Amino acid sequence: MRVGLRTRVSAAFAVGALVLSACVSMVSYELARSTLFSERERTAVRATYFDAAVVDAGLPDRTADVGEVLRSLDTGVDRHVLLHRDGRWYSPNAGPAAGFAVPTGLQELTAGGTAGAQRIRLDGQAALVVGIPVRSGIFYEVVSLSELDRTLQLLGLVLAAVAIMVAGAGAAVGWYVTRHALRPLTAVAAAARNIADGDLDTRLDPDAEPDLAALSVSFNHMADQLARRIERDRRFAADVSHELRSPLQTLSAAVSVVDRRRDGMDPKAAAAVGLISEEVGRFQDLVDDLLELARSDRPADREPTDLRGLVARVCRARGLPEDLLEVEPGTPEVWPVDRRRIEQALRNLLDNAVRYGGGPVAVRLGRAGERHVIEVDDAGPGIAEENRTVIFDRFVRGPAANARGGGDGTGLGLSIVARHAAAHGGTVTAGERPGGGARFRVELP
Amino acid sequence: MGSVLLIEDDDRIRLSLTMALEDEGYTAHAVATAEEGLVAQRSNPADTVLVDLMLPGMDGFECIRQLRRVDDVPIIVVSARDDTHDIVAGLEAGADDYIVKPVAVKELAARLRALRRRARAAAPAVTVAAFGDLEVLPEAGEVRLRGEPVAVTRTEFRLLCELAEHPGQVLSRQQLLQRVWGYEIGDERLVDVHVGRLRHKIEETPGAPRHLVTVRGLGYKLQR
Repeated sequence: MRVGLRTRVSAAFAVGALVLSACVSMVSYELARSTLFSERERTAVRATYFDAAVVDAGLPDRTADVGEVLRSLDTGVDRHVLLHRDGRWYSPNAGPAAGFAVPTGLQELTAGGTAGAQRIRLDGQAALVVGIPVRSGIFYEVVSLSELDRTLQLLGLVLAAVAIMVAGAGAAVGWYVTRHALRPLTAVAAAARNIADGDLDTRLDPDAEPDLAALSVSFNHMADQLARRIERDRRFAADVSHELRSPLQTLSAAVSVVDRRRDGMDPKAAAAVGLISEEVGRFQDLVDDLLELARSDRPADREPTDLRGLVARVCRARGLPEDLLEVEPGTPEVWPVDRRRIEQALRNLLDNAVRYGGGPVAVRLGRAGERHVIEVDDAGPGIAEENRTVIFDRFVRGPAANARGGGDGTGLGLSIVARHAAAHGGTVTAGERPGGGARFRVELP
Repeated sequence: MGSVLLIEDDDRIRLSLTMALEDEGYTAHAVATAEEGLVAQRSNPADTVLVDLMLPGMDGFECIRQLRRVDDVPIIVVSARDDTHDIVAGLEAGADDYIVKPVAVKELAARLRALRRRARAAAPAVTVAAFGDLEVLPEAGEVRLRGEPVAVTRTEFRLLCELAEHPGQVLSRQQLLQRVWGYEIGDERLVDVHVGRLRHKIEETPGAPRHLVTVRGLGYKLQR
């Protein structure tokens, strides 16, 4: 699946914010760390000098008790003192002196008479060793830095959290900004939808969003072209309608004049007139159906319609018994449909049932969820599985079950039904009636 | 049987329809333009006028309006245009019926007969029906609004009488088509446009009718 523009922009914003805030955090962390360490180091060195002076003063000669003097120092818990004197390590505790804690590098440095300090890790904890040569030997202090370590850890955590939050905020800003940036496109989408729904007058205002003016202008141009084209098609259909219908009117009237006088004609002429008369009727139906198809992509002109009355009327007009109508419980009386087109769809379905299906056995009105349903059942042999979609194509005719003198339909009836259903946003399907025969089902939203 | 005036610019249609109508027993007089038709109707009024919409010079819509100004003769539009827009415009101009070409002569004759039956309608059931400031007098053939007579066509009058005979009762478009036009099957737009025309004559605000109201999806009724 393709990732959406909004998601991509938001992600970019988030990554950008994360990189930026991570850099800032790292620099701040480093600065804070070095400042804190050097500060701590200075303090430790100062304290060590002070302690060293005290030790020096407490050990005027080689006889004094080193342990006693070291113990007298006020070192607290995070400082340990050591004295390296005559190759021996002294500490305030009686136990073995922890001279190993002092790195050899520092020992060598201080042995040369220079004071020094070095950071080490003692039992996994950060510590600082400061060494100062004094008269009585070399005085060391090991200062625990674990507290500083903890502080820095906390600072690191806080900075990481801030970086993550900034990244989140970046994503939110990206989302928000793209929503605003895409809002004009929402207008374009709505306009396109309107046009698709048949409102061809929908246009965009190019001044509303200067940055998208080019898009708006192209869109409007496209809509103009579309409207012009549809208008041209409409006019063409109207012209064709007029040009075909006028001569048909002459033919129809003239044929009726001749037809009246058939009795006086010789049999051949009479038969020919009969043929002409029939074909004029068929031609007329064909023209009507073709024009209906040509105009069938127009949106449905919905109005509240009493469907039961409509079915009863169509049945009556076709000479079919009105008790064909079955209404399922819960079916609303009034449907919001294009009265003329639904009437024609029903008429065509009934004609189809009469012509190819051995006559209709039921017309059912019902509901399926939010959709209105019309079903027409017939008594015919049913429709083969593979033909159930083909029959809605143009000029497809079934084998007439009760062919009366080749009185075939135009072959357009069912395609018109399909187009009328589609104009309502609905569908028509052919299926099987339980117990044999075909069932046509029209579903309308 | 009666006389018919045919206003049709297509020579062949005019000729063939005239012959066919004469075969059906009508006295048919055919002219090619609206202007000729208006003159003919004034000098020698026919019982029914058949008019095409697309005519050279004055078009069919204007012709109907001019005819309506003079009298209430039944007018049927016979046009090749079958757009709802044209049908409604033709009826709104004042036509009583609209037929799309090509029409079978038998069908045309049936419509003409229905119109004539309507002209000689049976005696009305009530002599006067009052709906507030609106009075329908079927016997006198009059409609009065606040005491003043209102000019209505024959079809409009029949429609109003039909509704007045069933005060407060909903009549479906099909019932009205049957009772007023005499059609078993017909175009319901006929009823809608005639109701609209009537509203312009009898309602103070035709957009929000008080007397002649629509019952959604079912039909129309007349009330106080």
